[in-house]
Order: sequence, then structure tokens, then C-alpha cells
Amino acid sequence: MTVTEPLSTLVSAARKGDQHAWDTLVDRFLPLVGAVVRGHRLGAADGDDVSQTVWLRLVEHLDDLREPAALPGWIRTTTRHECLRVLAARGRMRPTDPQDEAGGLDAVEEDVAETALLAAERHAVLLAALAELPEARRDLLLLLLEDPPVAYEEISRRLGIPIGSIGPTRARALDQLRRTSALRGLAAGDAAPAEGGAR
Amino acid sequence: MSEDDELFAALGEAVAARADDDRRRAAAKAAFTWRTVDAELAELLHDSALDAGAAVRSVAAAPRTLSFGRRHDQDSVTLELEITDGDLLGQVIGEAIGTTQPGATTTVTVQRPGDADVEVAVDAGGFFTVPGVGTGPVRFRVQGAGAGMTTDWITL
Repeated sequence: MTVTEPLSTLVSAARKGDQHAWDTLVDRFLPLVGAVVRGHRLGAADGDDVSQTVWLRLVEHLDDLREPAALPGWIRTTTRHECLRVLAARGRMRPTDPQDEAGGLDAVEEDVAETALLAAERHAVLLAALAELPEARRDLLLLLLEDPPVAYEEISRRLGIPIGSIGPTRARALDQLRRTSALRGLAAGDAAPAEGGAR
Repeated sequence: MSEDDELFAALGEAVAARADDDRRRAAAKAAFTWRTVDAELAELLHDSALDAGAAVRSVAAAPRTLSFGRRHDQDSVTLELEITDGDLLGQVIGEAIGTTQPGATTTVTVQRPGDADVEVAVDAGGFFTVPGVGTGPVRFRVQGAGAGMTTDWITL
């Protein structure tokens, strides 16, 4: 059973107790949960808790989903509500700013839910692009992205390259990333007119 | 921000998202072992954390109150919870509580993934306490007098 299996097949197998079908659902929708959580700016520990609550709750609600197609919406809504609860329970809900022209918290929440899926898709494309890079360049980018940051001296030592070449190699790696088939596919799909510098 | 910096920042987001997913994947898959097909599931009827106005008030100091029950079952008990500074005060409300014969007890079990269950008995008024209930995913099972029930999972 793979991530391309139709949702209805996976949901009905999971309802019958098939752990593998459940695992496949998790693999498919974990990025969506993560994107909604990030949209609410939860800390790592709270985000982990919310994620686990959403999956635990889904286990108990698999049987009441009338339509398997409703699953992504259910996951999005449940995650969003759980984020709001945790933010409020921690007293970290920011007051609604009257200068926010977006129409208050509800409007912002809808926006978060809608953009979550797009963010998850964008992440998948970027990670696919990263996987296309030669190992040495990928390692450099990953080291430069570490949080907290790794000092250039340390990067130089670990990768065996001079400090002075880190910047130029980063630029070449990013350039190469743009030319991967993953990112070229994205550019062709969504921003074809931008090719050649026309705006 | 240069084009390189934009791409680098987007890549950073994607890598961080993958790290989050990787950290959460095992727990999400393990959630399936909690499947209880025959449980009488009690839904969250009220949560003060989602009250209108919670967003604009400082709620850090106020206790969080939660209520679970079965909306379409008049005979079902309800479970009221109040959490203050990580301590839980709860009450099981229902006709059967306190009216059962001596010796019969109603218990509430606190379940959390990765932790042993904590079972407490309710008193004649239906009250119980769970000191240091902490944070994270949790659910409650009520067993004994009247119908038993299992609540939805919530994040404390």
C-alpha cells in the first residue's frame, strides 16, 4: 500500500484495523498537520502535543467520517482548533490587533488553514530539489541551515573546505538547486512568464 | 532580500518542516494502537480555552474548564474538569453517582500515550482530583456506576 493509494481504500482498510493503511495515512497527512501547526507559531513541544492529539482523535473518529474525501478537511479543522486551544491555555493568544485589516482572528484562521496545504506542497518540492543535489552541496546547505547556526570554522572543519569558499559554494549550490528538475517543474507550472526576466 | 536569500529561507522552512514531521511520525503511527472500536465516546461539549473573548483576555491565570458528555444520550454522565496550574479538579455528574450501593465505586482513569494509566476514585459527590496532571495529549475514562464513557483526546 503506497501513498498514491486512493483515500477511500486507505480509510476503509484503517477502519478494519490495518496498521499499514494507517501508517500510509500518517505519511500522507503529517505535512498538512505540520503546516497548520506552523501557521499558528506553536513552540516545538506544543506542536508535537497538538500533532499527537490530532492523530489520536482521528483514530477514534475514523468510523464517523461519512466520506473519506472529507478527511483532509477534518484534519485541517481539528488541528486548527487544537492549536487555538493550546495557545489560549498557555495564555499566549495574542490580542486581536484593531489595526489588523484582515477582519479579526477568524479571517486569519481561515487563511492559515487554506495556505497550509500549499505550504506543505512547496516544502515537498524544495526537499525533492535538495535531494537532487550532489551530496557535498546538500550537506553544506543543511549545515548552513542548522538551528542554532553552526560557525563557519566548524563547517570548514566538518566538510574539509576552506572558510573562504563557503559563501561562493553556497551560491553555486543555490543556483544548482534552481536548475533541478523539481524546481524547474514548479517554475514551468506556475511562473512560466517570469522566465527570461520578464515580469 | 536577494533571490539567493529568499530561496535559502524557503529551503530552511522546508527542512525545518521535515524535521518536525520526522519527530512526530512515530507517535502518529503509534496512535493507532489506541483504537477502541467499542468505546462510548464522549465529546468535548465546552472548553473555556475556545470561549468567545478568550483571544482578547489574559487567560493564563484563570482556570481552564472543560466539559465532556454524549450530546445525544440523556442517560449518559457528564465529566466536568477544571485545571489550575497543572492540577485537575473534576466531577462526574449523573443520576447514578452517589446513589449506588455501598462498596460500588466510580473511577476515572487518566490516559496518556507513553505513560501508565492513573486511576482515581470519585467521592459521593462525584468529585475527584488529579494533582500534577501536566500538559500534553490526554483522555479520561469513566467506569462504574451508570454507563461508562471515554472522552475524546485533548491537549492539556
